[in-house]
Formats: sequence, C-alpha cells, structure tokens
Amino acid sequence: MEDHNKNDTRAGMSGIVPVTPPETLRDLFMGFFWIGVRSFGGVMPWAYRTMVEERRWLTHADFTETIGLCQFLPGPNIGNASIVLGKRWFGLSGSVVAFLGLMALPFIWVLALFIVYSDLSSNATLKAVVTGVGAAGAGLFIGTAIKLGRALAKKPAALVLIAACFALVAVARVSLLMVVPIALGVAVLAARRGWL
Amino acid sequence: MNLVELGLYFALLSLVSVGGLPSVMPELQRYVVDVKGWLTPSDFIQAFAVGQAAPGPNVLIASLIGWKVAGLPGAFVALGAICFPAAVIAWWVAELWERFKDSPWRKAIQRAIAPIVVGMILSSGVVLATPGSPDWRLWLIAGLAAAGMLATKLNPLWFLAAGGGLGALLL
Repeated sequence: MEDHNKNDTRAGMSGIVPVTPPETLRDLFMGFFWIGVRSFGGVMPWAYRTMVEERRWLTHADFTETIGLCQFLPGPNIGNASIVLGKRWFGLSGSVVAFLGLMALPFIWVLALFIVYSDLSSNATLKAVVTGVGAAGAGLFIGTAIKLGRALAKKPAALVLIAACFALVAVARVSLLMVVPIALGVAVLAARRGWL
Repeated sequence: MNLVELGLYFALLSLVSVGGLPSVMPELQRYVVDVKGWLTPSDFIQAFAVGQAAPGPNVLIASLIGWKVAGLPGAFVALGAICFPAAVIAWWVAELWERFKDSPWRKAIQRAIAPIVVGMILSSGVVLATPGSPDWRLWLIAGLAAAGMLATKLNPLWFLAAGGGLGALLL
C-alpha cells in the first residue's frame, strides 16, 4: 500500500500518454490474472505496475484514489479494487471477472503449497523454518503498523485509540465484532470534534 | 456443521475487516484456535506463514484455515465468506464515496478509520508472534523483521526468508 507512492516520478508520464480502460472482459481478466500470479511479497506494487505502467488502464492519481478508498472499506484491499474497477468498466460481470482473475491461480497455488507442506511438516527443521517465516510475517505487520502510525503520532487522541484497540484485541482478546463497531463510533465522534 | 459455522462467522468478520486481512488475523486466531479448537496455535502460524510466502492476495490465508477445518469445500467457503459481504459493500459504496467527496462526514470517517487500522494491524503482529505461550525467539525474529522493513526498502520476501533461516537456527 505504500510502494506505489514512490512511483511519483512516473506520474507525469502516465498523464501524457492517454489511458485506455480494458476493452473486453478477457483483457480485464488477464490484467488481474497477471497481478495475482506475480505478486510475490505484496500485491499493491504489482497492481500498480500492471494497471498504471504496463496496461495504462488508470492514471497514477486515479490508482492512488481508488486504492485509498479500498483501504477504508472492509475486506481485502486488492479484492475490493477488483470489484470497484470491474464495476466501473463492465458493471457486475466486470466485478466478477476481475475478482476471479485475481484469485483463481493464487488460490490453487497456495492450497497446493499448503498440501505439500502439510505432508512434510513432520520434519522438525522444515516446521522450524516455516514457523520462523510466520514470525517474520508477524514482524512485517508490526513494521507496517509503526509506519502507518507515524503519520498519526502528533494526535494524542489517535494514540489513545491505537492503544485502546491494542489493549482490547491483543491483550484482553475481546472479539473484533465488538471492538470495531464501538471503536468506529468513538473515533467518528472524535474526528467530528477535530481531535483526529 | 463446521462448514456452516465457519462460513457464517467469516462472513460476519468480513463486515468489520477494515484494513483488510491483517486486521482480522487476531480474531481469526481467537475464533478458530481458542474458541473452536479447530487448529492448534502451531497450525495457525504455519498456515499464516505459507499464505504470506505464496504469491497472491494475503486474504488467501483464510482459505488455508478453511482447508484445515473442512478440506476443499472449507477453502472455498472461507474465502468466499470473508470476501463476499465486503465486496457487496465495495460495490455499493464506491460511487457514494465519490459523490460525498466534500462532505465533512466522509472526511471524519477517513480520519476515524486510520488509527483503528493501525491498532488492529499492530495487534495482529503481536498476536501472531505469540502462538500459545510467549516465546522470546519468535519475538526476536518478529522484531528483526519489523526493524528491517522500517530501515530498508527491500522486498518483504527477503525478511520472510531471513525469518525462515533464523527459525531453522533457533527453533
């Protein structure tokens, strides 16, 4: 979600070259298919490369705006982007086709990998490696939270909210079904008062 | 029966998954490990690891959990359930959002969601690094990956690989 920002230098270019939305559902499917199958280490940089730089479906600004919206909506960011962009270009069939293009092959791959791994996981060393990967993945989430949190650090109310969410979810292990609606209500009130 | 419960619960979670899958990982773990006992803490972190390392949207981790609970139907149901309600919202809200571009409520909602997403993702990292009882070795790996990510612009896969190497040495 951060990586497309560093492509600002190319934004001017995509402003000059006209953007052409996908012409057929097949184009749409293939575009999202390429995003899904190549996205090692995070989807967003690949989504940017495919849709803005290679296929020129969107301008840099349009991409940033759309992804920004999808980050605020519930659900997987790139999954939401496939729904929103598919709808914009082809209506309901566009949403379905873009979503399936994005998910189909990665779904098969990740299941296949997991099945193979499950067969081998009695091997103690392999299990230690995979657990280490999981811990590193957890660390990447912590890093992401710190990165996003820095932008909010000057607002005491934001820090209080972050701490409260953490205490409820990570320490007290209260269900998200309780925490998110309550936190959202409190946060919207705080934002309306100018605290956030 | 597990399949129906799994589908309904994941569909509910879909509605509160602001910030995407990272935000709901603590709740997924709480539900499938602590409440239901469908997966062990160790199963859970391994499913997470495989999902993170494989290419594709990280929401596919949900399908691995579904697979562990109910095989192939579980994988489909879990992925569909966690995506579909949110997709319906995205479908309806995208245009509204555009129309209310200058509304003070839209700005308030945007500012309100940001700290909640940060709190959830932070919780997620800490909960995932603590499967079962606290283990300093997992916290060390997680801390190094977080520090590395903040200090460099390397592809995150390098940190996952390094975490795997450290896992082989330490665990």
